[in-house]
Amino acid sequence: MIVLAIESSCDETSASVAKDGREILSNVVFSQIDLHETFGGVVPEVASREHVKRITVIIEKALEEADVSVEDIDLVAVTQGPGLIGALLVGINAAKAFAFAHGIPIVGVHHIAGHIYANQIQHELRFPLIALVVSGGHTELIRMQGHYQFEVLGHTHDDAIGEAYDKIARVLGLGYPGGPVIDKLAKEGQPSYDMPNIRTEDPYGFSYSGLKSHVINLIHRERQRGRSVQTVDMAASFQKAAIEHLIEKSRRAVDNTDAGMFLVAGGVAANSLLRERVAQTFTDISYAIPDFEYCTDNAAMMAVAAYYQYTHARQSDSMSLNGYSRLEL
Amino acid sequence: MKRSPVRLLLDTATPYLNVALYEGTERLGSLYRKGNNDHSVTLMPAVEQLFKDHDRNVEDLDGIVVGIGPGSYTGVRIGVAVAKTLAWSKNIPLYTVSSLALMASGHHGKALPWVDARRGYAFLGLYEVNDHVVQLDEDRYAHLDSYREEIEGEWTAVTSGRPDLLLLERGGLLFPVEDVHHVSPMYLRQTEAERNHSAK
Repeated sequence: MIVLAIESSCDETSASVAKDGREILSNVVFSQIDLHETFGGVVPEVASREHVKRITVIIEKALEEADVSVEDIDLVAVTQGPGLIGALLVGINAAKAFAFAHGIPIVGVHHIAGHIYANQIQHELRFPLIALVVSGGHTELIRMQGHYQFEVLGHTHDDAIGEAYDKIARVLGLGYPGGPVIDKLAKEGQPSYDMPNIRTEDPYGFSYSGLKSHVINLIHRERQRGRSVQTVDMAASFQKAAIEHLIEKSRRAVDNTDAGMFLVAGGVAANSLLRERVAQTFTDISYAIPDFEYCTDNAAMMAVAAYYQYTHARQSDSMSLNGYSRLEL
Repeated sequence: MKRSPVRLLLDTATPYLNVALYEGTERLGSLYRKGNNDHSVTLMPAVEQLFKDHDRNVEDLDGIVVGIGPGSYTGVRIGVAVAKTLAWSKNIPLYTVSSLALMASGHHGKALPWVDARRGYAFLGLYEVNDHVVQLDEDRYAHLDSYREEIEGEWTAVTSGRPDLLLLERGGLLFPVEDVHHVSPMYLRQTEAERNHSAK
């Protein structure tokens, strides 16, 4: 079964062709990151304008690189949400028009399902499993009993981890996005600044606003006292606290359930400390983290998720398929 | 006998969903209805229904005409995304038209079509409609009341109007697109972020 998937939920315009939920025939990703860097974060209207400008070129390129003709495509998949609504609607309407023009069924796919299924590209998923989804918009622990059976165990009560990275990078004058630059600087520093213990009442919940405020206040205080902030040490201290919070909750979720596999998904899965700590922590069960190209938003993961959605859950949507900025998994 | 060209018209830049199917000079069918911020949900089902009602399909299309704004940013992108994708993937000639010209074409005489842009401002244009549509002034983003004061003679301000494609075509207001991939809406305004950035 060949799936053409389209993803436009945030600042990447992407299209991919994949076979049987495993073989990625093409994965074209156009990142707008340079454009949004100027504004210190993703500007929804700017993102939407870029999507509509490029959408057909990206789809055409995905078909060409996959070397398939339209007749070979069995299913059109598109990210339905969550995400920036104006951005989502570009991909959704292009996908609907494509599916309609060629008489191919269409299915709307949840963005987080895509991130989780990014792991299936390189590792066969084994159930039950626990997935940690970490990105600029999400920090969640999800349990899966089987293909396309999701149970959200916990999520962040305030900021997503990626948001905290971006905010701190801004205060440190490191630009946008914050994740990669803090990760890089953290390797050169020591976690010498005191960080708070993050506590949440909910056993699988997350909280990043307290840590974020602590770091920002600490930076301001040091500056007011005329002391220079050791950026690399601050980055290392924040990163250690932020990542340990993920590891603690993830380990608890694995221990308290019968999970035999642990997955990491989403943009923050590219973080080097997280990858290192996962490898150290989950020695007793198998774990998977996607390759870097599948951590950030891409349509290949949506094509894979769509295949499993089609074979295990909902098969198709109508032409009234809509996008949603918030959407339950 | 050579059959008359079949064309599809789409416009989602204003509060009204606007879809019509033409064969030559005849309007086979159309839907012109006020939406509820739901063009994304209603556009494709309307296109599907129109083809079904008139026993046509995408293969029959000789042209697509799309309203490219100005108007609602999110709204206009819905129609443009659909039109671009249909035109590109089925290799159908694409034409663009001002969404304000479309609105004006449903009236007679001098018309001031406008779409609310908040704080007294609007996306507006000035057209004269007789046996064809004449564009009297550039479409623009302007203060509505101030613009009204400058207009001479008799005119009508309009916020809706069932379009007449043929009057627009006679007026030379349908523009053929050379490279479908590069079509973007006519926003007439930078984003707020870009304006703030360049003001710094």
